[in-house]
Amino acid sequence: MLRSACTKRRKRRRMRRRKMTRTTISGLRASQPERGDFEANFIRLLDKLTNGSTIEINQTGTVLVFQPGLLYGGTVEHDCNPQRSIGYYLEALLMLGPFMKSPLKATLRGVTNDLTDPTVDLLKSTALPVMKKFGIDGEGFDIKRGMAPGGGGEVVFTCPVRKTVRPVQLTDPGKIKRIRGVAYSVRVSPQMGNRIVESARGILNQFLPDIYIYTDHMKGANSGKSPGFGLTLVAETLNGCFLSAEMSSTPQGQGDPILPEDLGRNCAKLLLEEIYRGGCVDSSNQSLALLLMTLGQQDVSKVLLGPLSPYTIEFLRHIRDFFQIMFKIEVQKPLEDERKGGDKVLMTCVGVGYSNISKTLK
Amino acid sequence: MDGKVKKQKQHQQKHSGPKAEKKKLKKQNGSTEEDERKRNPKAFAVQSAVRMAKTFHRAQDIKTKKHHVPVVDRTPLEPPPIVIVVVGPPKVGKSTLIRCLIKNFTRQKLTDICGPVTIVSGKKRRLTFMECNNDINSMIDLAKVADLVLMLIDASFGFEMETFEFLNICQVHGFPRIMGVLTHLDAFKNNKTLRKTKKNLKHRFWTEVYQGAKLFYLSGMVYGEYQNQEVKNLGRFISVMKFRPLVWQTSHPYILADRIEDLTDPERLRTDPKCDRTVSLYGYLRGTHLKNKGQVHIPGVGDFQMSEVNFLPDPCPLPDTQKKRALNEKERLLYAPMAGVGGVVYDKDAVYIDLPANHVKQLQEEVRPTTELVQSLIETHVTLDAKMAASKVSLFSGSAGLDPTDVSEQSGVQDGLREMHVWDPHTQTRRRKVVFTGFEEEEDDDTTLDLVYLQFSAKKQSVFLPGCDPSVGAFKWKDGLQQKASAAFLRHQEAAPNLRKLVYGSVVEAEDSEEEEEAELGGLFRVNRPQKSKKVQANALDCSHFNPDISHNWELEEMLNSIRDCFVTGQWEEGQDAATLLKEDEELYGDFEDLETGKVHKGTTGEQDQAEKSESDEDETDDEDQQVKMDDDEVMKNKRLEKKRRLKERFNTEYDDGDATYFDDLKEEMQKQAELNRAEFEDMDDESRVQYEGFRPGMYVRLEISSLPCEFVTNFDPHYPVIIGGLGTSEGNVGYLQMRLKKHRWYERILKTRDPLILSLGWRRFQTIPLYHIEDHSPITPQGTGFLAVQSVSGVKANFRIAATGVVLDLDKSVTIVKKLKLIGYPYKIFQNTCFIKGMFNTVLEVAKFEGASIRTVSGVRGQIKKALSTPAGAFRATFEDRLLMSDIVFLRSWYPLSIPQLYNPVTSLLLPVGQKDSWSGMRTVGQLKHDLGVRNKPSIDSLYKPITRAPRHFNPLHIPRELQKALPFKSKPKLLQPKGKVPRDLKRASVIREPHERKVAELLRALSTVHHYKKKEAQRAHHAKHKEFLQQKEKDEEAKMKRMKDARKKLYRVMGQKDQKKQRSSLKGTPQDD
Repeated sequence: MLRSACTKRRKRRRMRRRKMTRTTISGLRASQPERGDFEANFIRLLDKLTNGSTIEINQTGTVLVFQPGLLYGGTVEHDCNPQRSIGYYLEALLMLGPFMKSPLKATLRGVTNDLTDPTVDLLKSTALPVMKKFGIDGEGFDIKRGMAPGGGGEVVFTCPVRKTVRPVQLTDPGKIKRIRGVAYSVRVSPQMGNRIVESARGILNQFLPDIYIYTDHMKGANSGKSPGFGLTLVAETLNGCFLSAEMSSTPQGQGDPILPEDLGRNCAKLLLEEIYRGGCVDSSNQSLALLLMTLGQQDVSKVLLGPLSPYTIEFLRHIRDFFQIMFKIEVQKPLEDERKGGDKVLMTCVGVGYSNISKTLK
Repeated sequence: MDGKVKKQKQHQQKHSGPKAEKKKLKKQNGSTEEDERKRNPKAFAVQSAVRMAKTFHRAQDIKTKKHHVPVVDRTPLEPPPIVIVVVGPPKVGKSTLIRCLIKNFTRQKLTDICGPVTIVSGKKRRLTFMECNNDINSMIDLAKVADLVLMLIDASFGFEMETFEFLNICQVHGFPRIMGVLTHLDAFKNNKTLRKTKKNLKHRFWTEVYQGAKLFYLSGMVYGEYQNQEVKNLGRFISVMKFRPLVWQTSHPYILADRIEDLTDPERLRTDPKCDRTVSLYGYLRGTHLKNKGQVHIPGVGDFQMSEVNFLPDPCPLPDTQKKRALNEKERLLYAPMAGVGGVVYDKDAVYIDLPANHVKQLQEEVRPTTELVQSLIETHVTLDAKMAASKVSLFSGSAGLDPTDVSEQSGVQDGLREMHVWDPHTQTRRRKVVFTGFEEEEDDDTTLDLVYLQFSAKKQSVFLPGCDPSVGAFKWKDGLQQKASAAFLRHQEAAPNLRKLVYGSVVEAEDSEEEEEAELGGLFRVNRPQKSKKVQANALDCSHFNPDISHNWELEEMLNSIRDCFVTGQWEEGQDAATLLKEDEELYGDFEDLETGKVHKGTTGEQDQAEKSESDEDETDDEDQQVKMDDDEVMKNKRLEKKRRLKERFNTEYDDGDATYFDDLKEEMQKQAELNRAEFEDMDDESRVQYEGFRPGMYVRLEISSLPCEFVTNFDPHYPVIIGGLGTSEGNVGYLQMRLKKHRWYERILKTRDPLILSLGWRRFQTIPLYHIEDHSPITPQGTGFLAVQSVSGVKANFRIAATGVVLDLDKSVTIVKKLKLIGYPYKIFQNTCFIKGMFNTVLEVAKFEGASIRTVSGVRGQIKKALSTPAGAFRATFEDRLLMSDIVFLRSWYPLSIPQLYNPVTSLLLPVGQKDSWSGMRTVGQLKHDLGVRNKPSIDSLYKPITRAPRHFNPLHIPRELQKALPFKSKPKLLQPKGKVPRDLKRASVIREPHERKVAELLRALSTVHHYKKKEAQRAHHAKHKEFLQQKEKDEEAKMKRMKDARKKLYRVMGQKDQKKQRSSLKGTPQDD
């Protein structure tokens, strides 16, 4: 199965892996060989996770031939490239983790929180409940923070192995019952956390009294190499769905510094935006949920999402290309007198009936 | 006498009288057990708690053993025909049986049974018969697809090897239903032997299949056919049989091809007759959903990529649902293209008409709607391309709901643009649509569908296909459109399909409408031009964050209000409102009677209902205000229904919860999932349904495979099954498998490592080289799949052919099998705990590689390699935990990686010429090679037998240290073993040399002492004799004395006894008179 075209190599690769797919792909990069550091790093991580995969990259870095082997798992240690945060790597691990041969225990070192990627805190609070719905529970996260650009954080991610994934019917998110959050600060004044919390609460208190935002100030060895602060907010609904938003301070020496009050306020607004979008899975985990639906048993799975993000749309195309699975997409418009945010999208699909073939039969 | 006579009479049951009445009453009441418990409580009392626990435990064990893991029922509503495979040794009557069954079901006679024959057997059941010949290849293939196996056994001969081989194959690949059929029963003349044989065969069959497996008897032939009644019975059994889903079959799509067409260009065939063929294969899809463009395996040919899959109208459809019991003549269809039956055969682009003598009329009647088209196609003799185009056009004009007069079609030849007039019901205007023909040719199906859709949607109709200049879309109707665009609800229906198109990219919205939409839909339509945006994203940051919509200002109150209801603090739906729930609860539990006071508490519903009219309840009949409007009535009715449903649900959950187990819950969950699966896509048309689910089992599909070897077509033999087995994701890869294997106990030879073996695993049959321990190189197949091994598939042998069976345990891409390797060395110099060892390695370099490795002596002294010595080469210094002896042997345990032979050689039996299909031979084993080439092995000299010569053994004396000797007890001291050592000088006696005089004296003394000794001896002897005499005398005296004493005692006792007696007697008499 040859596949050219370009882009989103990461996703593509991930997908490939997951299917343990076929042979090969030549991912043609559009012409920017210089941005390859973190991608090369990512491929190296994949190489560590698999057994029998071959990777060939041509000299200009525009063609990648990747032949995935079996997912092996086990204990893996990896130093991530500080250009991208650990979340970038973790997203892939979350998708691959349940389909390994042996339970995964990955230690990733690098930047835990930055602006571009979903932070580790966010993944911990939202991706894990999503996976739990699919019958994959028992993952663990152990975090030592390290802010961009220096990094120095460490995440230990453990994930059990599953033979099959359960189909889900997530059509009703329920109402939001509580909001939790973590305001973290490293190598800055511990007061920052409190300032963030206060401003965020100011906005969120209009809706709900049950708000608790932890302040997490880290010192010494646990605080990484660079100063910074940020906020992760998670809204939990009655049916156990999690919507989240996050914001980090701009990395030291890059761009304008941001005030903690502004950050708190903006982050709260981001959460409101996320709530406006709604759905049973928040926007950054849409692709994870869709993938697990695709890999489920040959049964109908349904999930209600907010509007599809561009990343998800791209992802859906990859799913179609690799698994020949198309989702039935139905838009649910809110009723006129309803005050429940914007349009929702109901995604329905029949799983491919994937079973973890690398797991050993005892 | 009377009673005895009565006893011999049979028991007469009473039909009247008190006893009969009593019995009747008992029967009516039924609850006998309860009564008995009451009547005789002691009999049911607990005798032993342990016994009771045991019986309970056992009962539960038996109960749980019956449970199977519940699986989601994925059988489609219209299932594919059941595959019935008729197996048996040659000349047992397979073809006759199929012929009889077909005649029984369809009243038609088939002369030659070629390939699968599909018939409609009942209102809900179709059957596909397939005959299995005696080739082990077809037996293996058919065992994998069979739902029911009719196993024919020649009763006059008994079981044959084929039967057992087939049973074994079935066991490995999931056990289909097996029904035995005994034939040739008329060969028995003696009724008793017949009965005995039947019984024996039945019991043997039961041990193979299961106790109580159905065995049918076909007693004899009438005019070359089996007896009608027996065949009818067999047919009835088949048509009501139930099947268990088999794991492999339900997890893989597969097709038993019943028709094959070669589509290769004839010109190409002419120039190169050996070119790869494009072949289309037809058959019912079974198992599970088939995805387009997947990988398939055709057993006997190899792995292929499907180039195209379509579904065709069912050639052998089930009758329409009507309420009647039997099928009429028209509905008893028979479809067997390979056997030359079936009449008209449709293809995607062709129609084949076979006109048999009978049935012609009926078949033509059925196909009326398309006959015109067929006729026209036959007449025109157009090319394939033209036909394709024609078919598309017809699809367009035939699309439902669209008035054909409103749609006129023109082919805009120049620029490849086609213009189309579309009637817009909304604006009441005629619109022109621009269609790009060049594009259409690529994605014909999709585009056509889209267009059809858009004609329905009542709004801005600009459909621009990629590459189309937007300026072309400057139409008159555009102005009106923009006004309308402001009305948000109009886009309501449109959004969904557009989103689908957006994601899967076959229709692109025009640029001008995009901006309005984006503002409206809140970022829903961000990526509007897949073609363009794809390129943009190629270099964009690969990140899953979804940036918020800038247009949302969360400072504004209205924005905040728009999400108020997302929180628990917001307003709830009416059904879930706290107030409603509370009220419901009250209705449920509100009314109760206080038993103590006798007061009746009424729920407050009545008052409440009166208060809020709209929510008034139907229970309150005395409600005064009945003047509700008509639509209000409707609302109320719905509400009532909803409420009833909820009440019922609640009741059900409460009622069922009592004994609901985990198993029940699981089963219910599966049931729900199955219902959902069925319901989800039910009301969609097949075209779109196929896109979402893939082709579902039960459909008649046509697969096109573009590169089949030419031998498949030229050497095609319809008697051999052609199976197309779908492969799951990644089952097309090659890797290493670890399997648990067991040699069949009936297989006579031994299996050797590296001797090629033919495995049947998954769909595949292939030759490979196993390595027993354990690992193997073959295509990846999921774990838990059973497999079967044979050593050769060619020819028919008398012996049992199945070599081994087993199961896949683990799979991997690379595997390291290691051999144990022991390196041996000998010490040549020993210090305290250090010693020098030689003979283990040959060079310093080798030693350097093993520095630090742990070594051990045979006696168990552990040590470590330290450093290499310069001489001799390969010697090294090692330290041990104790001092070594020169006689010790030192060894190093290590592992040597083994290279695993990689061989995957699919058995291509279907490609062999007709008549030789059972003669496939792959790689030969070493034994076969030697046999064929006449090579005799030269045995290793070491393995030859030689006369045994044993050297005499020499034992060193045991040395016990002096300290230890001292400590030993006297009896264990090595006194005797002590060698006669030197006597120290002081203990040595000096030899004495006597003088002659002294010598004389000594001589005399010696003589005297000799005499003295003699005398003394004599005296002693005399004394002994005397003493002996004395002792004898003494004994005699003693004896006499004893005798005397005994007599005296006897006398005394006698007297005493008499006295006693006298005394007793007198005491009995009474008082002593005078004593």
